[in-house]
Amino acid sequence: MMKKIIFTYMLFVILLGTSSSCSDYLEVEPKNKVSANAVLSDPDGIRGYLANLYYQLPIEDFVYFPRAGYNARGNTGSLSLSQYSLEAIHSEWPNWNEFNNQWWDKGYKLNRNINLLEESILTVDFSEAERTQIEGEIAFLRAYTYYGLVKQYGGVSIITENQEYTTDWESLRVPRSTEKVTWDFVLSQLDIAIDKLPESRHNEDETKRRGTKWAAAGLKTRVALHAASIAKFWNQAPLSGEAVSKGLVGMKASEAEHYYKETIEAAEMILNSGSFNLYMPEPASPLEAAINYQNLFMNPNVASTEMLFMRGYGHAGGPLAHDYDGWNNPNQTGEGFPHVGRTNPVLGLIDLYENYNTPGESSPIITTTDGQLHDGEFNDAIPYKRFSSPEDIFEGKDARLFASIIFPGSIWKGTEIVIQGGIVKPDGSVIGSKDSYEHNGVTYYTYGAETPNRYSGFDGTPNMTRTGFLMKKFLDEGSRINTWLQSTTDFADIRYAEVLLNYAEAVAESGYGSILLATKALNDIRKRAGHTTIIPLTLENVLRERSVELAFENKDYWDLIRRRNYHTIFNNFIKTALVPMIDLRGPEPAFIFVRKNVPGAQPNTFSERDFYRSIPRINNNGLIQNPQH
Amino acid sequence: MKSIRTFSIALIGLLLLNSCELTELDNYNGPNATIHGGVYDQETGELVQQDIINGMAIEYIEHGYDNPHTQYIVVKNDGTFRNNIMFSGDYTIQPVRGNFVPIESVEIKVEGDKIQNFNVQPYIRIRNVVIQKQDNKVVATFNLAQTVTNNVNTIGLFAHAEMNVGEPLNLVAAKININAVSNDVFQYRLEINLEANSSTLKSGKEYYFRVGALIDAPEAKYNYAPALKIAI
Repeated sequence: MMKKIIFTYMLFVILLGTSSSCSDYLEVEPKNKVSANAVLSDPDGIRGYLANLYYQLPIEDFVYFPRAGYNARGNTGSLSLSQYSLEAIHSEWPNWNEFNNQWWDKGYKLNRNINLLEESILTVDFSEAERTQIEGEIAFLRAYTYYGLVKQYGGVSIITENQEYTTDWESLRVPRSTEKVTWDFVLSQLDIAIDKLPESRHNEDETKRRGTKWAAAGLKTRVALHAASIAKFWNQAPLSGEAVSKGLVGMKASEAEHYYKETIEAAEMILNSGSFNLYMPEPASPLEAAINYQNLFMNPNVASTEMLFMRGYGHAGGPLAHDYDGWNNPNQTGEGFPHVGRTNPVLGLIDLYENYNTPGESSPIITTTDGQLHDGEFNDAIPYKRFSSPEDIFEGKDARLFASIIFPGSIWKGTEIVIQGGIVKPDGSVIGSKDSYEHNGVTYYTYGAETPNRYSGFDGTPNMTRTGFLMKKFLDEGSRINTWLQSTTDFADIRYAEVLLNYAEAVAESGYGSILLATKALNDIRKRAGHTTIIPLTLENVLRERSVELAFENKDYWDLIRRRNYHTIFNNFIKTALVPMIDLRGPEPAFIFVRKNVPGAQPNTFSERDFYRSIPRINNNGLIQNPQH
Repeated sequence: MKSIRTFSIALIGLLLLNSCELTELDNYNGPNATIHGGVYDQETGELVQQDIINGMAIEYIEHGYDNPHTQYIVVKNDGTFRNNIMFSGDYTIQPVRGNFVPIESVEIKVEGDKIQNFNVQPYIRIRNVVIQKQDNKVVATFNLAQTVTNNVNTIGLFAHAEMNVGEPLNLVAAKININAVSNDVFQYRLEINLEANSSTLKSGKEYYFRVGALIDAPEAKYNYAPALKIAI
């Protein structure tokens, strides 16, 4: 009996083994999925498919974190790109210095999805106009994708046709193109997009959130300026090795001129179209300018004339919302979100903002009566300026400071934000750790209040700022955030102000284009911020304006990379903080400010190899690795 | 019935083992070799001082693989290097991105305890270095003898509590842009004001001071004199 069962069993195994491979008995269409062909043979299906491609685009917005990647939600730590630049530092990890973010696999997955779309639209019944539009959209998505690749890896494998799976690996390997060819490829795709895409779509929402002629032209100003900068500044941080000698990374200085011209041409197309303008270009006062500028980022939809391309968010509580408010609210208005106060703007950025009295130059925060800049720990001998109210030290600064940054004494959501880092006792000694001190019958606390829920800085815990500053730009002052995924603020990816600045930089760097128009571009942005004095077009003015106007929009990091000065700035470099203290030395208590290194921050040095990322799995894909990786 | 289950498990197990060749042992040797040596000035025979952070590197590629990864050894401040966990085998090895005129790669066989020195021509030799505390300053004087015709880009005096002090690791630096060809009789002078830096260089403590000079050449690193410990 037993033997017979075993025999039957064996027979069954053998039969199954021999028959399954040559029968299609098991190859059935799954009933719970829609097949690719069904989706991509129908215009509505294609729209759904496109939405997914836009979702995958390498847009550096509220859900982009260098470590966790694009579209990262949940507990990312909020290690954002602005903390890698000269804009901010992280409250919990001030010494984070990891340049390891990879987008290779996801980038090529997106590329494959775009190729699949292109392949299948050939078989779909479109009108001629519809077909042109979708071809333009494919070019736009492809350009955005390869821009994401080339700025991280240099020259990459350009794959524009869908590869069929085969075990003949060699036939699937596509060598890297040179960096120049890759940039040119991105620009040529944008030219196709500019040519074929419509200027607008059925409604405002769709116009601003899908590729249009103007989105493509705006992206082109960004891409061409990036390429021009790499060509021009490559020699400031030259690399060597096989990837360099084959041109896979790096470009010749003589190429710069051509790319600056491309930037100028694309920008002039937008400037001369008359379709765009800055939001609220002529405020009556700096106060009004500050309100306008804050609103522009709290809800970019109010500023449709300034938007070339946006990313939409919605459905609080769901996967299309984000946590920007949660991560960045001051501790006092944390409202129950578990991790707050993460992105801390640094003093170096605050110093850049102009004062209305001294137009055209940075106006560093002066903390002493001698008018000199004193950096370093509190020193009893230094004549500190004394303020009755901490916000007075920022008086006269550019409206955008007040709209972008919460500083000591700011009113936010109806609460005065208390940021204080110590007490100077009447004898000139300092209390810098959690303590209290009684003076003339009043009790003073190191951090400005007795309990942590009543202050927002300096006690060393991750929810407190360690620079004296907190984020305001992009935060929704009207919202209450007590759990995850409650923010639905949209992100302005390409806005008119950036196009103006790209234009001004290209003209200032190259001398091509119109100096008149570029000067106007620069000053229009300043006028919108409440400035009334015209300043000349100089590179220094343009770059300062860029840092201020585009602060926290994830541009500064790439500016340092493309202009090849990351390694000279981040060389044994420590970011700085502004620490307010209550000074009990005089007859009346007053606030003084100490400019010093961010507490807990160590010197940071950037390695030149990190101008490019390492290419993963070169043993498999046969590609030439980037220098020093 | 039970025997069927045993039988099936055995069958599956046998198949798995066969397909993955799990029965074979990895019989390659571990990294049982050592390599060490120094980067020497070909004229004076002295070690050429380096930086650890962002300093020169020694690149090596093991032979016998397709598209091999380049590996690196970091060189210590004093110009020596050591890797105690190296696989025995044939390598192409080359010191790169240093403070000396680039040299060709060499083919070597690494086995047991391998000593590999490199003789190089440093871009700049820093001579007659005197670093002294004078009143409220630390003053360094020195001569430069450059061995190539390029400009000297920058000279600097660097201070740090660690002996690995240098351009990428310092508490205080006094740097001057030269951007000119140096001559070997001119006495260069750099100073660090201790009073102005009293919050970083605390009086009564000892710090390392080191003089460096950078040639204007692609990927060049600073040339240094040895660090000196001074109590301030």
